Amino acid sequence: MHASELAEVVPTVTRRTTALEAARVIAEHRLSGLIVADDAGIPVAVVPGTQVLKLFVPRYVREDPSLAHVYDEAGADELCAALEDKTVAELFDIDEIKTQSLPSVLPEDTLVEIAAVMVDKHSPLVVVRDRDGTYSGAITFSRAMAAIATAAARRQPTTDTGASGASDGSDA
Amino acid sequence: MTVQAILAITVFVIAYVFIATEKIPRVAAALGGAALMLVIGATGADEAFFAEETGIDWNVIFLLLGMMIIIGVLRQTGVFEFLAIWAAKRARAKPYRVMVMLVLITAVASAALDNVTTVLLVAPVTLLICERLGTNPVPYLLAEVMASNIGGAATLIGDPPNIIIASRADLSFNDFLVNMAPIVVLLLAVYVVMCRFLFRKSFVYHADRAERVMALQEREAITDPVLLWRSLGVLVLVLAGFVAHSALHVEPSIVAMLGAGLLVAVSGLTSGKYLGDVEWETLVFFAGLFIMVGSLVNVGVIGQLGEVATEAVGDNYFAAATGLLFGSAVLSGIVDNIPYVATMAPLVAGLVASSGGSAQGGALWWALALGADLGGNATAVGASANVVVTGIAARNGHPISFWTFTKYGIVVTVVTVLLSWPYLWLRYYL
Repeated sequence: MHASELAEVVPTVTRRTTALEAARVIAEHRLSGLIVADDAGIPVAVVPGTQVLKLFVPRYVREDPSLAHVYDEAGADELCAALEDKTVAELFDIDEIKTQSLPSVLPEDTLVEIAAVMVDKHSPLVVVRDRDGTYSGAITFSRAMAAIATAAARRQPTTDTGASGASDGSDA
Repeated sequence: MTVQAILAITVFVIAYVFIATEKIPRVAAALGGAALMLVIGATGADEAFFAEETGIDWNVIFLLLGMMIIIGVLRQTGVFEFLAIWAAKRARAKPYRVMVMLVLITAVASAALDNVTTVLLVAPVTLLICERLGTNPVPYLLAEVMASNIGGAATLIGDPPNIIIASRADLSFNDFLVNMAPIVVLLLAVYVVMCRFLFRKSFVYHADRAERVMALQEREAITDPVLLWRSLGVLVLVLAGFVAHSALHVEPSIVAMLGAGLLVAVSGLTSGKYLGDVEWETLVFFAGLFIMVGSLVNVGVIGQLGEVATEAVGDNYFAAATGLLFGSAVLSGIVDNIPYVATMAPLVAGLVASSGGSAQGGALWWALALGADLGGNATAVGASANVVVTGIAARNGHPISFWTFTKYGIVVTVVTVLLSWPYLWLRYYL
């Protein structure tokens, strides 16, 4: 299975998108991350969903996680409300988030190549781009896993007969 | 002066400039300088690694390591967060009272642990309290870091320069308590009053914002009560060990390492947790620094400087103490007080030795400690704690410029150093 067959249309956000709107995009489309695009709609970065949470958790709480326990419910709600005043651009100011290199694959790339990029970039989303850089969709983590499970199932009878090719397939 | 001595001075000055200007990481500068000293033959393996006078001071390194491990475990308990929020609530979230409570907690913790780690632990919870109060955290962070430098001066373990002085001068934990703690208590009282005026614009009280602080649940910060009690038990033992170390003929570094070992054993934490807060860079920086300074001792530069200083001082030790106090305060504001004290310690040791072990000569160590510790408050680069706090503030979106720090730091330094001068005179030279 190739990347072009797995790619789906995933909504993108821009740096100016508010954190609240970004949260809605993730929730509504059940995404595992955000694709940040420039004004021309060309993806420039992928931010994993857990990293997007950094817009919600103050830096000092990230540095000292025991402080998370001292907030009461109203205090936690106040932090949520503050998302309206923040933008996706602030994610790029958080130094520990690696937003510089865009995890991308070519339409003809295989599952192994897709999985390798996800592992290497620690990214649950991979952008599919043509050789000329045109964005043609993205592959989500769940989509990639579903494809891997399907491919493994297709090879299952071979495994039962004890053929050595089966282990190669599962490793892939 | 030999060619080797001139080469050693050149290497030292260049490395020092790099450390002071931070053009390259200070660890790289210290290690590079140490390596060059070995290359030019100013020191060798025996002198650098095994000699007490000219090599790495392992007492200092292991005392720091032991305390870092103890604090690394202690911070897992959430006790600092609990204390700070509890104090803010006891102050009814009134801004000046909150600042006073945080200042006192920081000063006391700095004396009992060390000032660098204390500010590292107190700064995040300060940011939280200020966010709840809806106030700018910068005045609070500045007040705390300066309190940590004042409070840390009280004990042997409170400030890295004191650890170096104690090791080089063979001074005990109790020597520091008896000679430094009284003036530190006085300075702290004055400093608390000064904060009222220095940061007066930040003390605006809003009842609704105060309520947000009062709603914080400090008990929730204690994530592991069993570990907390075990850690506090070991900390009490360690502090008792420090107080009794000269009577027991055990070095403070051994006390710290035994405490660290015991705490690791009873905590059940993984190595990643209890070693996570060890600042390896700082320890390596110290090692490089000791080799560089030891090389100067080895080639006779420090000895010659000591002779010049001894001749200049004669028997007027009060003038020497005055010069050391004010000179150290000025220089510690310009360069980090750790390399400054590491360099000055052999020189002061020469002066003290020439006094024949008199009390007036011995007091030069207290002049050096007060000048270096309090002078560290003058600028943002004067002490390691300052660098830590300005870094935390910047990462959290509240940058503290060099000049903002200096504006307050100079005032605090001038007042505290001026008050220390009559203390030295009255206590040792009258």
